[in-house]
Amino acid sequence: MPTIAKRKVAKEALSETTAILPEKTASDVRSDPNSTPCKRKLRSDGPLIMDSPFSSPTKWKSPRQCSSESPNRAVTAKETVANEGEIKSHKSPFKSTQDSFADKPKWNPKDGEQVRTVKEALHVSTAPSTIVCREDEQNMVFEFCKSCVEHNKAGSMYICGCPGTGKSLSMEKVKKLLVDWAKQAGLLQPDVLSVNCTSLANTSDIFSKMLGLNQTQGKKTSASPLQQLQSLYSQKSSSLNMILMVVDELDYLITKDRAVLHDLFTLTTFPFSRCILIGISNAIDLADRFLPRLKSLNCKPIIVTFRAYSKDQILSILKERLRELPYTVFQHQALELCARKVAAASGDMRKALCICRSAIEMLEAEIRESIGLSEISLEEKASPRQNLASDPDHVKQEEFDTVRIDHVALALSKTYRSPVVDTIQSLPHHQQIILCSSMKQFRGAKKDTILGELYRSYTGICKSSMIPPAGILEFSNMCRVLNDQGLIKLGPSREDKLKRVTLNIDETDITFALQGIRFFRNCLQ
Amino acid sequence: MGRESHKMKALSLLRSRICDPKFIFKPLHDSPDSNYSKLKFMMSSSITEACNNSILLLGPRGSGKSAVLELVVGDLLVEYPDMISVIKLSGLLHSDDNCALKEVARQLCLEHQLQFSKAASFDDNSQFMVAMLKECGLAHKTIVFILDEFDLFAQGKQRLLYSLLDAMQSITSQAVVIGISCRMDADQLLEKRVRSRFSHRKLLFLPPSMEDSKSILEHVMSLPVDSSLPHDYAVEFNRKVQDILADRRFKETFNKYLNFDSSVKHLLRFLFCAVSCMDLQTGFLTCENFETAFSSIMRQPKLECLKNCSILELYILVCMKRLEVKEQTLCNFNSIMKEYKNVHDSFRTSDYYARNVCLKAFEHLINRELICFTDNRGHSSSVEFRPAKLLISSSELHQGLKAYHSCPAILHKLMDREG
Repeated sequence: MPTIAKRKVAKEALSETTAILPEKTASDVRSDPNSTPCKRKLRSDGPLIMDSPFSSPTKWKSPRQCSSESPNRAVTAKETVANEGEIKSHKSPFKSTQDSFADKPKWNPKDGEQVRTVKEALHVSTAPSTIVCREDEQNMVFEFCKSCVEHNKAGSMYICGCPGTGKSLSMEKVKKLLVDWAKQAGLLQPDVLSVNCTSLANTSDIFSKMLGLNQTQGKKTSASPLQQLQSLYSQKSSSLNMILMVVDELDYLITKDRAVLHDLFTLTTFPFSRCILIGISNAIDLADRFLPRLKSLNCKPIIVTFRAYSKDQILSILKERLRELPYTVFQHQALELCARKVAAASGDMRKALCICRSAIEMLEAEIRESIGLSEISLEEKASPRQNLASDPDHVKQEEFDTVRIDHVALALSKTYRSPVVDTIQSLPHHQQIILCSSMKQFRGAKKDTILGELYRSYTGICKSSMIPPAGILEFSNMCRVLNDQGLIKLGPSREDKLKRVTLNIDETDITFALQGIRFFRNCLQ
Repeated sequence: MGRESHKMKALSLLRSRICDPKFIFKPLHDSPDSNYSKLKFMMSSSITEACNNSILLLGPRGSGKSAVLELVVGDLLVEYPDMISVIKLSGLLHSDDNCALKEVARQLCLEHQLQFSKAASFDDNSQFMVAMLKECGLAHKTIVFILDEFDLFAQGKQRLLYSLLDAMQSITSQAVVIGISCRMDADQLLEKRVRSRFSHRKLLFLPPSMEDSKSILEHVMSLPVDSSLPHDYAVEFNRKVQDILADRRFKETFNKYLNFDSSVKHLLRFLFCAVSCMDLQTGFLTCENFETAFSSIMRQPKLECLKNCSILELYILVCMKRLEVKEQTLCNFNSIMKEYKNVHDSFRTSDYYARNVCLKAFEHLINRELICFTDNRGHSSSVEFRPAKLLISSSELHQGLKAYHSCPAILHKLMDREG
């Protein structure tokens, strides 16, 4: 079974062979981003791959002809070595994918090396070789940058979208593509500057960063960096190349007077400006809310929205990551469940990857438990040697192969379920009574009360059920503990009894958590 | 003296056990379901597999989150000696981002024996941190960030959290971020982009159930039979402890105590008190030790104050209560005296004292903070005219009167009149 180390070796082997290929194929792909990168490369590389020193694993079936329209077959030639048979057999996820899973052997979760490989493939920090499902957006940005560089014009663009939708990832790709394309096309290579606005101590530091890149003058002027930039862009100088500025987390630049944001974007309107500005943020209406004047100046940034991933997109991205592995790790329904739930909740790709890794850990925990149990049972048996020989076989027969739907369901519930219900159920008795009495107080229109009132209600409940109530000191201690946990909120006050109390959790949570106890059911009647 | 010394030894052994978190949480090591093993598995797999991870430990105060984390970190430092460096931040001290980054840089410098300059700017510090992360990633060293009071870091712009969690998204760095918080909704406090980068692993530290608390008690209180203590004494001690645990009175006290607060810290406080009350003559624990501990912890200071009051002072308090019930808005010394006279006239009590004696008693009560003046500014008027109010509730007064050793029956009647 090929491991990562061997795959890397194979990568190098193939990269040498691709060098023999005419330059055209590489540049063909890159300069024609309308098609999914590298989609057509596979067929032309077909004969090349057959010569690779690496033979495909024996357990695979014969490769099937795949349709060329599948959007997620895009993969660079480097990755194809060990997966040669499997690529051809991979169909688009929009069609049924049961067959492609049957083609690959199941993984062995007891093998630490395989587990490590799979987890690495699913880790958020592992940037995939191709970014699927974001081709349109990437094209838009790339075309925009290309036209700016070609015509030597400045421009600005604003990219917005929820967290986890692939914005920064796509920008990395576009940066690389742009630099390569400029090199190919023989134009002056643009400088690339990436700034994450959370790392700026002052919002106006962004201008000094821009200047830092533009190290033309050595002399120190007394003008601020912004003024220097403005004067720079007002004069014609042919020696400067374009700057591609990618500003991440743009909303950190928003100050009360919105000056910095405005100045940044208006820098692109100067007659001899050389910067291509791309701002990334989460707010969809940032451009409208904070940059109204730009419209009048006719330099409103182009807005590209990265919408949250749909279920199919999440599924295809996950499959893309897992496709490079030579074995199946997940059952198809398990992946689908994960994609469906994450798409319904937020459409955040990081969550989906996290949940997949969590599910693998559930499987590992299950294996460990079963090993522990089988060890215990082996010890308890104290059987003669022949039996022992058959027992390990029995252990092996337990099918721990793929991650099943129940593992994914467990991982989902762990991630999405809030611990409130568990916490309430494990609270000591009197603290539960406090929560109930606060619920009773807030039944009507009143939403807050003072501690003294709450104490009265609490003692009322205690007396009616013949429980000795706590003193006022102990009561305020317990309220403080509940406040620390975030279940109720205590306002400030000089005197203990006059503190305002509000419930911080939903009443239905309390009812649900305490429904099993008859005392509280009656209490809440 | 030789015979006493082993009892002293037993006592000091028990006390040192209660103060040692390693001993308390040891029985949890064995079960694979416990938080200790889960945390250890998560951290060791992050270290060996070189992948970044972020974990949140949630639980009420005193449930052992920091203790278990210390245990795990200690074990990992022994298992993987040079592969971990630990950075500790606290939300109480370092909630300001500049301060926090400076502290991170300082601790990193300390760990790797570099020079730390206090004049480094925010920019320098953050670049240093990123560079260190990269270096450690290349050297396969994992940096463990422990953020205590995690919910306090989530105030303001959350820059530190963002930069830490963002650094973990890059493949060059190798770090684990562990947040400890007592707020159950700590991850809801994060901004959505920080929350997206957080890997949502939560470990819940719930207070132990009644059975678990009993087993912790047994575990702490059982003397080791094969130690330096005399064998018979240890066996007898353990037998006595088992008897106590089976005693109905003890069970009642224990349940009553844990009904208020069942966290491990609270339980240990109870045990410590009880063990300290152990009679060194006999050298064994009794049920009374536990009951003494219970009453000494569940103190009601106002009731104790009432026990020391004189009868006249009790009269004054009851009169003030009556005024409150009659909803008389003005309550100062003069009106109390009027009420006192009324009571004396209607019930013909024998305790009727002169005005100046009553004034002295009134001032006593002020000193003891059972009553206080309501006007905090302007001491223009004399003591007799300033309005005053009770600082003790009617139920406490009731209880106090009942517990008073020679309370005149008239006072009870007066209190009961109001119901």
